[in-house]
Amino acid sequence: MLTVDISKTLKHFKLNASFEASKGITGIIGPSGCGKSVTLQCLSGLLTPDHGKILLNGKPLFQPDQRINLKAKDRKIGYVFQNYALFPHMTVEQNIEFGLKGLLTAEKKQKVSSMIEKVQLSGYEKHYPAQLSGGQQQRVALARTLVTEPDLLLLDEPFSALDHHVKHLLEQELMKILKENYEGIVLLVTHNMEEAYRLCDQIILYDQGQIIQAGRKEEIFEKPKNITSAKIIGCQNIIPVDSITETQCQVQGLTLKLEKQHVTENISHIGIFSENIHFNEDNQSLNAFPFKITDIVKGIHQTNLTVKTADAITLIASVPNEIVDQILKKKMYLVIPPQHLLILEKR
Amino acid sequence: MTESINLFPLFLSFRVALTATLFAFIIGIPIAYYLNRSNGKIADILDTLITLPIVLPPTVLGYYLLVLLGRQSTIGRFLEETFDMTIVFTPTGAVIAAMVVSIPYLIKSARSAFAGIDPSLLNAARVLGRSELNIFLTITIPLAWRGIAAGITLSFARALGDFGATLMVAGSIPNETMTMPIAIYDALLAGNRELANILVIIMTAVAIIILYIINRLEKRMTKGTG
Repeated sequence: MLTVDISKTLKHFKLNASFEASKGITGIIGPSGCGKSVTLQCLSGLLTPDHGKILLNGKPLFQPDQRINLKAKDRKIGYVFQNYALFPHMTVEQNIEFGLKGLLTAEKKQKVSSMIEKVQLSGYEKHYPAQLSGGQQQRVALARTLVTEPDLLLLDEPFSALDHHVKHLLEQELMKILKENYEGIVLLVTHNMEEAYRLCDQIILYDQGQIIQAGRKEEIFEKPKNITSAKIIGCQNIIPVDSITETQCQVQGLTLKLEKQHVTENISHIGIFSENIHFNEDNQSLNAFPFKITDIVKGIHQTNLTVKTADAITLIASVPNEIVDQILKKKMYLVIPPQHLLILEKR
Repeated sequence: MTESINLFPLFLSFRVALTATLFAFIIGIPIAYYLNRSNGKIADILDTLITLPIVLPPTVLGYYLLVLLGRQSTIGRFLEETFDMTIVFTPTGAVIAAMVVSIPYLIKSARSAFAGIDPSLLNAARVLGRSELNIFLTITIPLAWRGIAAGITLSFARALGDFGATLMVAGSIPNETMTMPIAIYDALLAGNRELANILVIIMTAVAIIILYIINRLEKRMTKGTG
């Protein structure tokens, strides 16, 4: 169990991070420059927080009131850097051996070679990092860290340096290696939502140095609590509400039915993902409205339609390319399914 | 004719330049490392002082050294009284003069070599459990050595070629403190064209070899190791 409660004043913002993470992968998500990497650096001992404490499996790593601030080299934390940070003048073998201490040469050799096998780099022992592909470099970086058997593993944007077409493949590879060889706590920093959803069990949402929401990934992605959370996970339609009851709300003259829910006074907006807006030929379903299309942006698989209801609410709807013609030709209604409406608090 | 070709200045020059470079290395590397790691006011002032010998005329430098280390100065008197050591008009003076004019080149090269190392490599080594000294020896030096080597070569070349500062501090006593550049001037004044030509050719050859070495080092540096 990792318990973090730290604050640090930085040039552009103040970092305030308080969270817990247990075994499994916890994703730290947020826009660039929101303090994600700084958090990892504080955990690993490369930066010192101004206040707070860090406990790892009951052991304090940073606890100023007891004058504890372990150096990076004594924290037993694995850190896989965004650019992998492989030592260019050392071979694959030497890189992986670098973090092993207090062992006999034979033991080291044995550990290194079994780790090389696990990450499928047999035959590359004598290669230098510059001779490897991006994916191979990533595996060396991971092996170099895993061989030290860290108590906590930090992955900083592990896929951002890779080409798009190999990303998926490497993601699966990395997950397989992690599952088979590591049982501790993993923190993964990313700004890619899809990646976060695929890889993580728990999610922590960051914005401008503050944690805005934390929890199970399903919870975060299906029920973001506030406007900022919704924006970060990619909700394009966020509209202020005029009034709201347990079953419906008023939005700029439009009445929207809601799934029955508890209403607090902090609720200020509703949101809906562009993929969740549907189009029907009849207006029998709940929340069906006539509309006009004001803009069309065609993508590879999906088309973004900017639609306007009679009451002048503008929404963005993503639909598969195949049905765009249908929507344009036939008289249709846009449908906002109540179960997909997000009820959002202001921050 | 044989008595006119005296190669003492050649050997003296190499001895002086090698010793000066050795001391420049010992003093310069820690300074370069410090300058690369800190960017405070003290580092700025130090950096300016270190660069000064590149810009100042060598005779001005020599003058300062005379004032600082001469027999009338505090340091000069102290050295003479306790160690019976004089600096002015001795080969020691020549070494000090050569070191002062050449050390900036070494520090500049080493510093930019240190700065060229990706900081995440050093952080990775820290997280992997290595101490700062260990990281300096296993990561920093191996990755920066080409830049350091280029700096050493450059500063050796500058030390070998110094005229002004050496003349001011060490003088031009034949067979004692007369280095090559001074001997060339001396030979020319004395009308000994033959000696001047030989010394000039030797100096030119050395300069070409040095430039070639630096070029090779820099080319390999851009290609990267491995």
